[in-house]
Amino acid sequence: MSENTVTEIFSHELPATPWNPEKKAIEEAKIQVAMIGFCGCWGCHLSFLDMDEKLLGLLEKVTITRSSFTDLKRIPHHCTIGFIEGGIANDENIEVLEHYRENCDILISVGACAVWGGVPAMRNVVPLEECFREAYIDSATAVPGAEKTIPYHEDIPKITTKVIPCHEVVKVDYFIPGCPPDGEAIFKVLDDLVNGREVDLPSDINRYD
Amino acid sequence: MSRKLIIDPVSKIEGHGKVVVQMDDNNQVTDAKLHVVEFRGFEKFIQGHPYWEAPMLLQRICGICFVSHHLCGAKALDDMVGVGYSTNTPMLPTPEKIRRLGHYAQQLQSHVTAYFYCIVPDMLFGMDAAPQQRNVVGLVEADPELVKRVVALRKWGQEGIKSVLGKRMHGISSVPGGVNQNLSQAARDRLVNGDDGLISLDQVLEYAQDGIKIFKDFHEKNRAEVDAFAEVPALNMCLVNNKGNVDYYHGHMRIVDKDKNIVQELDYHDYLDYFSEATEDWSYMKFPFLKALGRESGSVRVGPLARVNVTKAYEDNCPLANAALEEFHDYTKGKANDMTLHTNWARAIEILHSAEQIKVLLNDPDLQKQQLVLTPADNAWTGEGIGVVEAPRGTLLHHYRASKEGNITFANLVVATTQNNTVMNRTVRSVADSYLGGKAQAEITEGLMNAIEVGIRAYDPCLSCATHAMGQMPLIITVLDANGKKIDEKIR
Amino acid sequence: MTVKVTIDGQEINARAGEAIVDVAADNGIYIPTLCYTKGKPCLGTCRTCSVKVNGRVMAACTIPVSEGMEIDANGAEITDMRKAMVELLFAEGNHNCPSCEKSGRCELQATGYEVEMMVSRFPYRFTPREVDHASKTIWLERDRCIFCQRCVEFMRDNETGQKIFSISGRGTHARIEIDTDLANKMPAEQVREASDLCPVGCIIDKTQGFDDPIGKRKFEVKTIRERVLEGTHR
Repeated sequence: MSENTVTEIFSHELPATPWNPEKKAIEEAKIQVAMIGFCGCWGCHLSFLDMDEKLLGLLEKVTITRSSFTDLKRIPHHCTIGFIEGGIANDENIEVLEHYRENCDILISVGACAVWGGVPAMRNVVPLEECFREAYIDSATAVPGAEKTIPYHEDIPKITTKVIPCHEVVKVDYFIPGCPPDGEAIFKVLDDLVNGREVDLPSDINRYD
Repeated sequence: MSRKLIIDPVSKIEGHGKVVVQMDDNNQVTDAKLHVVEFRGFEKFIQGHPYWEAPMLLQRICGICFVSHHLCGAKALDDMVGVGYSTNTPMLPTPEKIRRLGHYAQQLQSHVTAYFYCIVPDMLFGMDAAPQQRNVVGLVEADPELVKRVVALRKWGQEGIKSVLGKRMHGISSVPGGVNQNLSQAARDRLVNGDDGLISLDQVLEYAQDGIKIFKDFHEKNRAEVDAFAEVPALNMCLVNNKGNVDYYHGHMRIVDKDKNIVQELDYHDYLDYFSEATEDWSYMKFPFLKALGRESGSVRVGPLARVNVTKAYEDNCPLANAALEEFHDYTKGKANDMTLHTNWARAIEILHSAEQIKVLLNDPDLQKQQLVLTPADNAWTGEGIGVVEAPRGTLLHHYRASKEGNITFANLVVATTQNNTVMNRTVRSVADSYLGGKAQAEITEGLMNAIEVGIRAYDPCLSCATHAMGQMPLIITVLDANGKKIDEKIR
Repeated sequence: MTVKVTIDGQEINARAGEAIVDVAADNGIYIPTLCYTKGKPCLGTCRTCSVKVNGRVMAACTIPVSEGMEIDANGAEITDMRKAMVELLFAEGNHNCPSCEKSGRCELQATGYEVEMMVSRFPYRFTPREVDHASKTIWLERDRCIFCQRCVEFMRDNETGQKIFSISGRGTHARIEIDTDLANKMPAEQVREASDLCPVGCIIDKTQGFDDPIGKRKFEVKTIRERVLEGTHR
């Protein structure tokens, strides 16, 4: 290895305090769930928390592996359920979604953004260049006299021309519409899956807004 | 060896962020940055849409502080149609109080979520505990009673939001000049008395003190480490009323320095005269600063720590919060507090403050009255509006213009977390230097890297909000001849 | 004159000449519609009410019942076809329910819930469509137009009877047009009538906005199915 190459080391690959083995055994015996947010507002993750006390009951059957509430940065092993929020808006999103498809038996698109693109997809009718021009070149708060810089760097991902619904990139098994779907709706679908029932989201709790 | 240590993604925060720490052959930290990797383009794609849609659309920037965006939008629309704060027609009491109720309920819920779900696990288990342990699920096992109280408290905050906005998240309440419903007696009674599955207001006030207790216990046992952790300088900014006390819903902007001297005071309508935003190529999030002071000295901190630094006191009818605030102020004896982890203490105090403010509103009969909208006079239309509130994470600003036909022609958002960009990067660098600097690679553990994240989490950043903007540089290739003269240029 | 027809195996006595949708609704059978307006001539533009009549797929609003007709309204295949029609509409336009003024009182949305649409099986197109906000009180949000043509046929100038709305272009270039001058002559009640007549959030009354709180919106108070079956829907 030459002196000029820079090694990249990820924090989740570094030595960590091991998990209590008893706890580990109990949790790994439960149904494994991984969660991820792409181009969304994280509202669906928070709506997941809106199942309130029912979450405690669910956690007796389910272990949450990678998610924004836990410090697990990668899916540690194959999972049964993948909870996906947000549409696809950059090249990293595509890679991670494909990774989730490979590592989860079931994928659920949760919320308008994952289901059809949602509010971020409103930029699909505007040319990409115009969007960036508005934010970084013609910005009202641009520093007078400074060279106008647009972010472009090896450490940040590249944006897709359009925001894409998740199922147009990989196969998705279930959909929960809503912006966000109510905690009840999310709980109903997860509860059906966890208890081996056919997934049924009744019309009185299914909403698109 | 020279290397890049990468945290990807930063967890237990809202939104997408990456930290890259660069270390050289002598194990010194040469650089440490927080890269914000999201971008959505609200400022562009909202153009052409009708102005009354703005609060409904823009609240979807964020799943936690949506009410703040909604209310900024509402205040901007009030300006635009020619009523409210920027005119001689003051807001009607009922809609203002309804809006405040939604705002305080959101503050309660948002701080509870950030504090207990994202910050407390690292406090109770230790920054270097097993990563699988350091989360709310680990808390359930360690202290199930606490988690039940937290879930109940958060639920109450959410139900408070729902009673004003119709949904727990991304609801509908504000219209230009007012709101579309009041708080019915039944809804009010339910929040005060609780019901099957909902705690009462008295229980809310009790549980709202848990956070302060937890911090103080933790601080007792770890005083030196907590106080030394990322003490980073910055100016402090928030909205204040005429008494110089924080008002989360409306006021003028005040910026104070380390000695709590007022460095700048402004009507937020004039923000363009005072602030600029710099852009770097390595992050989609911009860097605001006070023009008069330049980027290095002019960066401000916003959010709970800034607010407790700026405010002299809270309202007289919030005695518990006032006592807690006094204790906080005494700790640094008249100086502003720059200790990053003390932000969590400030946040816990604000949980209590929101609860007390909600109690005052729920005992105010104005909320059940019927006059909900201030109708503008003919020809009052101004076509431009700026709305500013104190979101849980700090000062949030929305600025729009619309044509007479109703379509939005311009939108600019300066978001709280964006204001904190510089000070967060200072924190990241400070923690990297303290915890990683001088260490060989073999000595660096996952727990030490988590320390950097703990520093970021103290700001409770809302990276979705901060990157409402859109960016993708066209690649410009310039072909130069041997004399450096441009002979061709291609834009990708 | 009464005729005997069968709908989903149920024998029904109906008035001859009445449209299948109405006969079904009178007998507790809900067939979704979008362009149909009871009491006004049928348009047959949306095809959301497709049923099988003696084995052939037809729009139930356009077919008057006749003796011995056998109608398959809720069989698996035809139900899925209707669902596909609704999904096609959602994929064709830009239907952003989260920020739409009509959400909660939108017939397309309500029908989506009834046919249990979760996602469209067709690729979402995101076609740019120009908005028209030139008139004083009407905002024409073309993103949401489903080309039902209720507005074209039924909104007329009070004085001259002239059409206020029309369709220009053909195929994928078709779009709804509004006569700005005639629109500016519309009194407030007629503007509200147009906005209510539009089954989606395309014709927006600029003075209306989000005045209905969530929970109190039309189809939250009573679903579209309930309204159709009790005869209070259009």
